[in-house]
Amino acid sequence: MVNTPTKSLAQHPLIDYIERLERGEALLQDSPQNVMEVVGILKSYGVVLDAYSRNLIYTSQHQFLVLFPFFKYFNGDVSPSRLLKHWWHDRINFEYAEYCMKAMFWHGGGPLDEYLDTPEFRQRAKEALKARWRGNPFMLTLNKIFPEFLPEQVRVMAYYSALGQFWRVMSDIFIELSDRYDQGEIQHIPDVVQHILNGLVADANRPITYQVEIRGQTYPIIPPEVGLTFLMDTAVPYVEAVFFRGTPFPGTISYNAQAYQIPGDQASFTYGALYADPLPVGGSGIPPTLLMQDMRHYLPDYLHKIYQATPRQEDDLLVQICATFQKSMFCVTTAAITGLAPHPLNTTDPAEKAANREYLVNWMNRFITSRVESINR
Amino acid sequence: MLSAFILLPVLGAILISLVPNTNPNQNRPRIIALLFGGVILLWNVILGFQFDPSQTAMQFTEYIPWISWLGFNYHLGLDGLSLPLLFLNSFLTLIAIYSSNVNIQRPRFYYALILLLSTGVAGAFLAQDLLLFFLFYELEIIPLYFLIAIWGGGRRTYAAMKFLIYTALSGILVLAAFLGLVWFSGASTFDYEPLREQVIPLGIQLWLLAALLVGLLIKIPIFPFHTWLPDAHVEASTPVSVLLAGVLLKLGTYGLLRFGVGLFFEAWITLAPWLATLAAISALYGAFAAIAQQDMKKVVAYSSIAHMAYVLLAASASTPLALTAAMFQMISHGLISALLFLLVGVVYKKTGTRDVNVLRGLLNPEKGLPIIGSLMILGVMASAGIPGMVGFIAEFLVFRAAFPIFPLQTLVCLVGTGLTAVYFLLMINKVFFGRLTESLSQLPQVDWGDRIPAIILALFIVILGLQPSWMVRWSETDATALVVSPSLLSQVAQAPDQALSLGDELSMNVLPSRSGNN
Amino acid sequence: MTNFLVETSWFIPIYGLIGAVLTLPWSMGIVRRTGPRPAAYFNLLMSLAAFLHGSIAFQSIWGKPAQQLTLNWLQVADLKLTLAVEISPVSLGALEVVTVISLLTQIYALGYMEKDWSLARFYGLMGFFEAALGGITISDSLLLSYGLLEGLTLSTYLLVGFWYAQPLVVTAARDAFLTKRVGDIMLLMGVVALSSYGEGLDFSDLESWAETAPVAPLTATLLGLALIAGPTGKCAQFPLNLWLDEAMEGPNPAGIMRNSIVVSAGAYVLVKLQPVFTLSPIASDALIVIGTVTAIGASWMAIAQIDIKRTLSHSTSVYLGLVFIAVGLGQVDIAFILLCTHAIAKALLFMSIGSIILNTSNQNITEMGGLWAKMPATTSAFVVGSAGLIGLLPLGMFWTLQRWLNGSWHIPWWLMLILLFVNLLSAINLTRVFRLVFLGSTQPKTRRAPEAPWAMAFPMVTLTVLTLLAPIVPIRWPFWLSLAAPLSEPDSAWLPFAIPLMMASGLLGCVIGFTLPLNRSWARSSRVYIRFFQDLFAYDFYIAKIYDLTVVWAVSSLSHLTAWIDRYIVDGAVNLVGFATFFSGNTLKYNISGQSQFYVLTILLGVAVLLWLTFSGQWSFILNYWSSVLSQVSNLA
Repeated sequence: MVNTPTKSLAQHPLIDYIERLERGEALLQDSPQNVMEVVGILKSYGVVLDAYSRNLIYTSQHQFLVLFPFFKYFNGDVSPSRLLKHWWHDRINFEYAEYCMKAMFWHGGGPLDEYLDTPEFRQRAKEALKARWRGNPFMLTLNKIFPEFLPEQVRVMAYYSALGQFWRVMSDIFIELSDRYDQGEIQHIPDVVQHILNGLVADANRPITYQVEIRGQTYPIIPPEVGLTFLMDTAVPYVEAVFFRGTPFPGTISYNAQAYQIPGDQASFTYGALYADPLPVGGSGIPPTLLMQDMRHYLPDYLHKIYQATPRQEDDLLVQICATFQKSMFCVTTAAITGLAPHPLNTTDPAEKAANREYLVNWMNRFITSRVESINR
Repeated sequence: MLSAFILLPVLGAILISLVPNTNPNQNRPRIIALLFGGVILLWNVILGFQFDPSQTAMQFTEYIPWISWLGFNYHLGLDGLSLPLLFLNSFLTLIAIYSSNVNIQRPRFYYALILLLSTGVAGAFLAQDLLLFFLFYELEIIPLYFLIAIWGGGRRTYAAMKFLIYTALSGILVLAAFLGLVWFSGASTFDYEPLREQVIPLGIQLWLLAALLVGLLIKIPIFPFHTWLPDAHVEASTPVSVLLAGVLLKLGTYGLLRFGVGLFFEAWITLAPWLATLAAISALYGAFAAIAQQDMKKVVAYSSIAHMAYVLLAASASTPLALTAAMFQMISHGLISALLFLLVGVVYKKTGTRDVNVLRGLLNPEKGLPIIGSLMILGVMASAGIPGMVGFIAEFLVFRAAFPIFPLQTLVCLVGTGLTAVYFLLMINKVFFGRLTESLSQLPQVDWGDRIPAIILALFIVILGLQPSWMVRWSETDATALVVSPSLLSQVAQAPDQALSLGDELSMNVLPSRSGNN
Repeated sequence: MTNFLVETSWFIPIYGLIGAVLTLPWSMGIVRRTGPRPAAYFNLLMSLAAFLHGSIAFQSIWGKPAQQLTLNWLQVADLKLTLAVEISPVSLGALEVVTVISLLTQIYALGYMEKDWSLARFYGLMGFFEAALGGITISDSLLLSYGLLEGLTLSTYLLVGFWYAQPLVVTAARDAFLTKRVGDIMLLMGVVALSSYGEGLDFSDLESWAETAPVAPLTATLLGLALIAGPTGKCAQFPLNLWLDEAMEGPNPAGIMRNSIVVSAGAYVLVKLQPVFTLSPIASDALIVIGTVTAIGASWMAIAQIDIKRTLSHSTSVYLGLVFIAVGLGQVDIAFILLCTHAIAKALLFMSIGSIILNTSNQNITEMGGLWAKMPATTSAFVVGSAGLIGLLPLGMFWTLQRWLNGSWHIPWWLMLILLFVNLLSAINLTRVFRLVFLGSTQPKTRRAPEAPWAMAFPMVTLTVLTLLAPIVPIRWPFWLSLAAPLSEPDSAWLPFAIPLMMASGLLGCVIGFTLPLNRSWARSSRVYIRFFQDLFAYDFYIAKIYDLTVVWAVSSLSHLTAWIDRYIVDGAVNLVGFATFFSGNTLKYNISGQSQFYVLTILLGVAVLLWLTFSGQWSFILNYWSSVLSQVSNLA
């Protein structure tokens, strides 16, 4: 039985990419240069994510509802030399981690978001708050007058922890990828995608929990009973919030309400990592610059050499890093798409193929305005 | 030793043409030119320290009789009017040499021409003999013609020819005025100081001054004799533009002050209202024309026309304050124009275009020209007269000096100042602000060699803006001396009964300002 | 020690300048490996130093007479330009306000701008802002004040243009600069004219000159109008008010400073110029008219805005309009007090909305709601700030209005009406914004909105406390700086009812604001007249369009005309001459026939004519004619 494609399908502008995915290739073209770039940047991204995730988890555990968290970026290790380095801004930009967390928090979506609105969560949060502010009449009265203030902060803490745990897994995946590349096991882009996919699947059901210790006692905020898992409850909302939707950059988008440049519907935001133009990076009002600056410290030598061979050499390092990073994020997205497909993408069963097609078309519709074509130029 | 300014560059030019340039990478002509330029600048600084600002007479004079039966002698001298301009010349010559393309075609000819240009200009500023001034005035046309015609842009032949014809015509008129002066006054020499004391009837003075004026107004340039400037600037290469705008235009205004006010004072006073009006028209004309331009260099060229008009305005007011202000505006304009042309040159070099409709977002810190852009904003603001930079205080002095005498024209020129901000801001907005486009994302690197001359100029602009007295004190005494012309005094002595009416007529310009002691 | 600090008070603005210069290594890109935050820390340190220095100096100068320090800047011919600084309780008090708000804003910006990599450039500009503002408060020289006002224009351009890659910013920065420049050029005309009277440009000199000045009425009027043009642009008064709306494209901390102290700087200079333009009653009347039109028009514009920053920026124009009216009536003390209370309350309001913008990535008030429960500091800041602006609760504005209407000033009936109207509409506006943003149920974009981080919350809370303490200024203002003497008893019968009326108007405004039907969706009313008025106010009475069709069109056409004339007429004439020369030269070449007989014939003919002329006496005729002309010319003298 022949399954003729529908009219819209044949005329889809990204039909090439759909077929590529079905063949087992990635959204990013396979070439030795691409492999070097993607693996290199994912290596440094992995190192940075490692630092981010440790800090996020530290904050959620030890800076729970601290009003003046001056030292929250120190991970508990405050010494004069570290203080000087911190003030000289010779450190990882943990502000970017918080920015990603806030984006995920603001967009919401998924079971984690739903859980945080349930009465069970409210109850657990209330107990933790009571313990935290025991003996502090000011904060307790404030909590009574503004009932959502402190619970909202607890929700933020929950997202700190969730994102930290998510990035823990991703960091390990990327570091392992780089190690395997150094040993020669990774030679093509599809290998990269496969590695990431394996990592995602391996930890797909890793539980996401969050408990905080106050005055010696442990208070669960997200107990295991809630049943949150890694893939569906943190990875998917993260990809949605950070890769696709994003938040509008003040440096390139006007927030002026009368200009109506920002859509009223959050679902139609296209400011994420897959859509952003790398050229403005390094300038004012572009938050991902902080990530690029972090990654520049951990670039492997082979990647650094590639960058130094360009006309501007190191002058436009941040833009080059961003362009490479975007390529790698498309690889990660490919892995996510492949992993979430209803049936294996290289199936031969016509019914499954049709279902896959529909699934892929839905994804590709979102990519029409993305930079998928630019990265392959 | 003032002849050094004339001889050293010639020596350098000869050396450059003799030394073989077998290995282009060694760039010997450029090194020799830089050396000579540096030595000349150093010599200038030394002379500056030895200069006594309180004296009104010419200093460091040199006198060699040449063609005595004609009255034409080699007479050089320096005073407060010419010292700053001489310094500007030496300084900008060095900057022009430094910012020349390192891989230029026919380097020996090129650097030799630049040094010869420096000779011509220096000689013109130093000449104390009318024919000597004319000689150097004509002399500088030749190197400049070649510089534009050989190393210029697409329409360089047209632009160079236009420049040549205009400036040659200007020279002829100047010569006619000088010859007429000597003939009608019956003097036996072309020497400057003695000619100041000659008495000529006012009618003849008016004709002579008119000829001189048309000639010099072409050089400055003032509407309607200005059309050679946009073409010459656009087609010339960056260093030549820098010299053209920074120094050569000042020859015209220098001539106005030295010879117009100095030799034909009564006629000058009579014609002053017309001159002021012409200045106002030219300022507005330049500003409006600049707004409509699409080529960055043309914008700066028309703004040059507008800002030189302020010098004419101050000169027409002819009080000591006004003439000092005119000097100051000359220096200020020289520095600012040089900076702007340098920066536009860098933009052109890196992006390959000067079209404001094509360029966008060049302030991008990673892929664009951020430091050049910031310097451009500084230069543009200086030109628009933002306080803290030399443009403001120069223009303020000009307006303050001209306002009591020609209030209406001054107000019109003030409107012109306001319009400066309009066209420059439009240019900056289009070229530097906005988002860098894909087509402009592969620009080559900007190295410090491109930036350093601009940074030095910017520093001068800011420092002189904050501390203008360092500039003004050179010219003040001589500006005052210029105003009280010896011929006027001798006229008063000869006809005491006419003195009263003459005095009344001229009192507002000759005596200390009537506006009080502050 | 304190004496030393008082005498070196002129150095306080320079702290800001030092901070700005210290940011250069980071903003120029020389330091690239590490981040830009040290630049921010340096600036904070300098602001702190300025604040401490200023506080100590302020405390010790209280009750003492004013000191004046003069720096001879430039002396040319008969012109002497000096830069003078006045150290008095009023000037140091104003400096205090500037340094406090500047310090709090810079701490706030640490949090708001933490994700921005061009932090160094931002703080450099903020340092420059602070230096210029501080300089204006203590400046006693019109020239220095003018220079610093222009510096403010430049740094406004650079700060509004901070996010230069954003398309609306490009036009906003350009409009801000050019609008203010128009006012500044007219002010420069006034300064040049004043300077040419020879009295010097110090405010104290000008004051004594104005008392005895022999100036013709027309000149005085023109001078007055020129002098008030500068502050009109700076304080966003009609017709130069549009730039403030567009300037809200810039980052919020800059907006905080701009709406509170930068506009106040313009009014401050206006107050100092007051002795000069009162020479002409027309100038004072013009001030009153400008202030009135702005106060009324901007009030309407404010209630039609949906962008949260612009609802407040138009309100800034309104209150500065009241200041203009006060200065026009000669009631200088009220102007100062109004500036002070407005600046503090407005800064607080902007801080609170900045926190909202950061957390909801949004500035559209129709997409907000239900924030009160989640953001205590922000909510209380907004409430206190609003209360400080509406004359209802006993905070800053209430006591200011109370002082204004307490009987020592002559209050015309129309001023009372204006005050009531402004109070009413301001109350409506702030209440409606409060309802839309804080009350009601949460919307998708405000569903998850935690309170701001400590760097932003701390200055907000501090400023809230300061706003609560601000009524001290109007209540205990000990000076009398106005020229007219205070009235011993109220001169209008209704004046005792003024304050209750004021409170009633505020209450009415709040009630209306609470009961107004609010439109949360993007759909607009289908009734044409409502839409017409909404558009009229929302698009600022279409002033931008009017500018486009008048001024911009005129300048643009003139410029194109000039360029056309230049290219085709002037240059055309030149090219024509060149062409004619070329052409005539070309035609002459046809004369070269190559036949020698033709040449010989031409030579013979020419020689014959010459000989005839010489020997027939025609030659002498020519000679005589020209010599007579020459002798006539030489006899002209």
